[in-house]
Amino acid sequence: MRPLESRWYPYALLAPAFLVLVVVSLVPFLFAMYLSFHQINFGRVGDFAGWSNYSRLMDNERTWNSLWVATKFILIAFPLQFILGLGGALLLNKRVWGRSVILPLLFIPTMMAPIVVGLVWKVMFAGSWGLLSYNIVERFGFLEGTSVFSSPDYALLALALVDVWQWTPFMMLAFFAGLQALPVSPYRAAAVDGATPMQMFFRLTLPLMAPLMVVIGMLRFIDAFKVFDTIYTLTAGGPGTSTEVPSLLAYRMSFEQWRIGESAAFAVLVWIGFFVLCSLFYHVAKKKLNAF
Amino acid sequence: MTMHKAKSKSILAGLIASAAAICYGAPLHAQDWSYAEAAKPYAGTTIRVLDEITPLQETMRKLVPEFTEETGIKVEYELLSHGDVINRGQADLFSGRGNYDAIMLHGLQLGPLLAAKVLQPIDELKKDQALTNPDLGLDDLIEPANESLVNHSGAQYGFLTWNYNQIYWARADLLNHPDEQAAFETRYGYPLAPAETMQQMRDIAEFFTRKSGETLAGETLSNDFYGIVLEGIPGGTTFTTVWEVFMNNWGGGVFDADGKPNLDTPENIAALQFWADLWKFAPPGQAEYSLIDVPTVMGNGIAAQSIAFSDFVLGVDRPGGGAYAGKFVYGGIPVNAENPDARSAGGEPSLMALSSHSENQEATYLFMQWMVDEDTQAKLMEAGGGGVPIRRSSFDLDVMREAGRQSLYKAMAASLQYVKAKPKTPSFFEIDNTMGPLVQQVGIGQLTAAEALKDGQRKVLSICSDCLLAE
Repeated sequence: MRPLESRWYPYALLAPAFLVLVVVSLVPFLFAMYLSFHQINFGRVGDFAGWSNYSRLMDNERTWNSLWVATKFILIAFPLQFILGLGGALLLNKRVWGRSVILPLLFIPTMMAPIVVGLVWKVMFAGSWGLLSYNIVERFGFLEGTSVFSSPDYALLALALVDVWQWTPFMMLAFFAGLQALPVSPYRAAAVDGATPMQMFFRLTLPLMAPLMVVIGMLRFIDAFKVFDTIYTLTAGGPGTSTEVPSLLAYRMSFEQWRIGESAAFAVLVWIGFFVLCSLFYHVAKKKLNAF
Repeated sequence: MTMHKAKSKSILAGLIASAAAICYGAPLHAQDWSYAEAAKPYAGTTIRVLDEITPLQETMRKLVPEFTEETGIKVEYELLSHGDVINRGQADLFSGRGNYDAIMLHGLQLGPLLAAKVLQPIDELKKDQALTNPDLGLDDLIEPANESLVNHSGAQYGFLTWNYNQIYWARADLLNHPDEQAAFETRYGYPLAPAETMQQMRDIAEFFTRKSGETLAGETLSNDFYGIVLEGIPGGTTFTTVWEVFMNNWGGGVFDADGKPNLDTPENIAALQFWADLWKFAPPGQAEYSLIDVPTVMGNGIAAQSIAFSDFVLGVDRPGGGAYAGKFVYGGIPVNAENPDARSAGGEPSLMALSSHSENQEATYLFMQWMVDEDTQAKLMEAGGGGVPIRRSSFDLDVMREAGRQSLYKAMAASLQYVKAKPKTPSFFEIDNTMGPLVQQVGIGQLTAAEALKDGQRKVLSICSDCLLAE
C-alpha cells in the first residue's frame, strides 16, 4: 500500500499543526484551569482552593462592569468596522482611481502596534495639549472642554472609534481580497438574466462571501473583546472604571495585584464564554448562511 | 645624654607613637578600605541590576563603568520604564528565577515582596568589615524617607537610592506680574505669591482660571488657561497623592494606628472634597493625566501651578526644556492652614534591594553600596547638572548651589522633610486599584467625597482588615 492510501496519512499531515496547537494553546489553557483551582500566593502555587477563586471573581463588581464595558465597546466598534470595511471593499472593487496607492496606505493603521496607536491618539487628542484638541477642538469650541478620553460620556465611544480607525482597513482589505477571488461566471449569468446590482449583491455577493465574512467577523469580534493597549495608554480604564475592559482588569489582577488564581479563573470563564459563543456562531453560520 | 634621659626620651617617643597609632588607627583603616580591595575576590563576576529609566538613572548609567573599572565587577545595568520595572522586577523576585541580583523597588512594592520573603536583608553583609566602606556615612541619608523605607522588623532591606518627592510648582512670570498681583490682592485681600497653604493654592487656582479671550499678564488669551493641573488618571500615583498630600495634611489617612482601613473619616472626606474642588480650575483632560502628563501641561504653559514629582520638573525646567523653562518658581507642599501640625508631603523614596535568589550577593552588595556612596552621589549630581538628592550633604554641592535652580532645590529640601515611604502592606496594589477610580470619580463629579470614601472603606475592608505587615 502506498503511503497516500494509508488511513493514517491525513493524521500524519495534521500532526505537526495539532502538536503546535496543543503546546501553544491547550497546555496554557489547562495550566490556567489548574491555577484557577489553587491558592496562589505571590506567584507560588499553594493548596487546592476549590471554587473560591471563581466565587470571589463573581462577587467582584468590577468583573461584571468589565464585561459590560467590553460588550458596549464591541457593540459600537464591531458593526462600524464591518459595514465600513465591506463598503470600502466594494468601492475598491470598482477599480476606483488611485487604488494602487490607496491599497498600501490602508495597511498603515493595521500594521501599527496597538500601543503606538494609543500613543498617536494620545498626542492627537490629549485634553488641552494634544495636537488636535489644543489647536482645533479647543480653539473652535467643538466640545465642552477639550478632552474626549477623560469624559465619562465620550471616553468609551472615543476608544471604540480609535479601534474602528485601526481595524476597518484590515476588514476592508480582507473583504476586498475575498471579492477579488469571487468567480465571474455567476455574475455573467445574473447579468444575462437581467439582475439589478442590488439583487447581485444580496443574492450572489453576500452568499458567496459568507464564509469569509463569518471568519473575519469572528476574528475581529474576539479581537475587539481582547483590546488592551490603546485603552491602557489612553484612559487606563477610566474615568472611574468606565473603560475598564476584561483584559485590563485581568492584567491588573495578575501583574499589579498578583491575584493569579482569580485572574486565571477569569481567563477560563472568558475562554468558555467564547467557546460557547463561537460554537453557536459557527453552527448558525453553517446552517443558516451555509458558510462552512 | 645620660642613660636616664635616653630612656625617658624613648618612653616619650613610644607614648607619642602609641597615641598617634590610637588617634590615627581608625582613619588609617578607613583610608585603607577601597572598593578595589574589597572587590578582589569578586573581580570578573557579572551582576545584573534592574533600575527605572528616568534622567536620574540615565546619568547613573554613565557612572557605572567607573565601578567596573575600579572593581572588575561587570554590571549589566538595565533600565526599564516605571511600570515595567515594577512588573518585571516583581515577577523575577516572586518566581525565584534570580535573573536580577538587585532590583530597584518603590516603597509601595515592599509590602507584597516582604510578605513573599523574596528580599535578602543586608545586615550580615553590612557587618562584614571587608565588604563595607567604613566611611559610607549612612547617617547622612535624608530622613524620614530612609528609615521608613529600608527597615522592617529589625532588618535592613537595601539602600535608599532614589528620593522621588513631590513639590509645589508655579509660574513665576504670572505670580510676579504687577497687574496680576494688584488684581489678586484686591480680590483676596493678601499679596499674590507662591502658595504656602492649601487654601492659597486654591485661591491662586481660581484666580488664574481664565477663558480664551480674557487677559493674562497683559496678553489676550487665544486658548483657555487653567489655575492648576494635577494627576488624575485612575492608575499611576493619583490616589497616593490624594492620600499623602491631601488626606494626611487634613489629619486623615488610609489606615488607623492598628493598620485597619480608616477611609471614611471626616478628615479624609474634607481632604478629598478639597482636592476634587481644585478640578474646577484644572484642564478638562485632567482625568487622563498621569504623573508624566502633568509636567507636559506645565511645560506647555497651559496651567499656573501644580503639584508634581520634582524629577520630572528637572526635565522641563532646564535650558532648552521648553518655552517656559526658567520661568517657574517652586515650594514645598503647601500646608493645610486649618491643621498646620499635620504636615505631610507626597513622594516615593525607592531602594536598591538584594534579591534573595541572587548568587552574587557580595558583589551586588558592593555595587549597591557604591551607588549610595558620598563620592558617587556627588558625581551623580555633577554629571546630571543637579538632581534629586538622597544625602543631605548633596544640597551643599556647588552644582546644587547653582543660582537658577535654588528655588527648586529649596522646594525639594522642604518637601523631603516630610516624605515617608508607604506603609508596608501586602495588599497595596489592590487597595490602590480600588481607590484610584473612586477618587477620580469624585474629581470628575460622578461621586461625592463621602460616597466614594464610604464605598472605598467597604471595598478595602473586603481586601484586608489588618492591612499592615507585622513588625
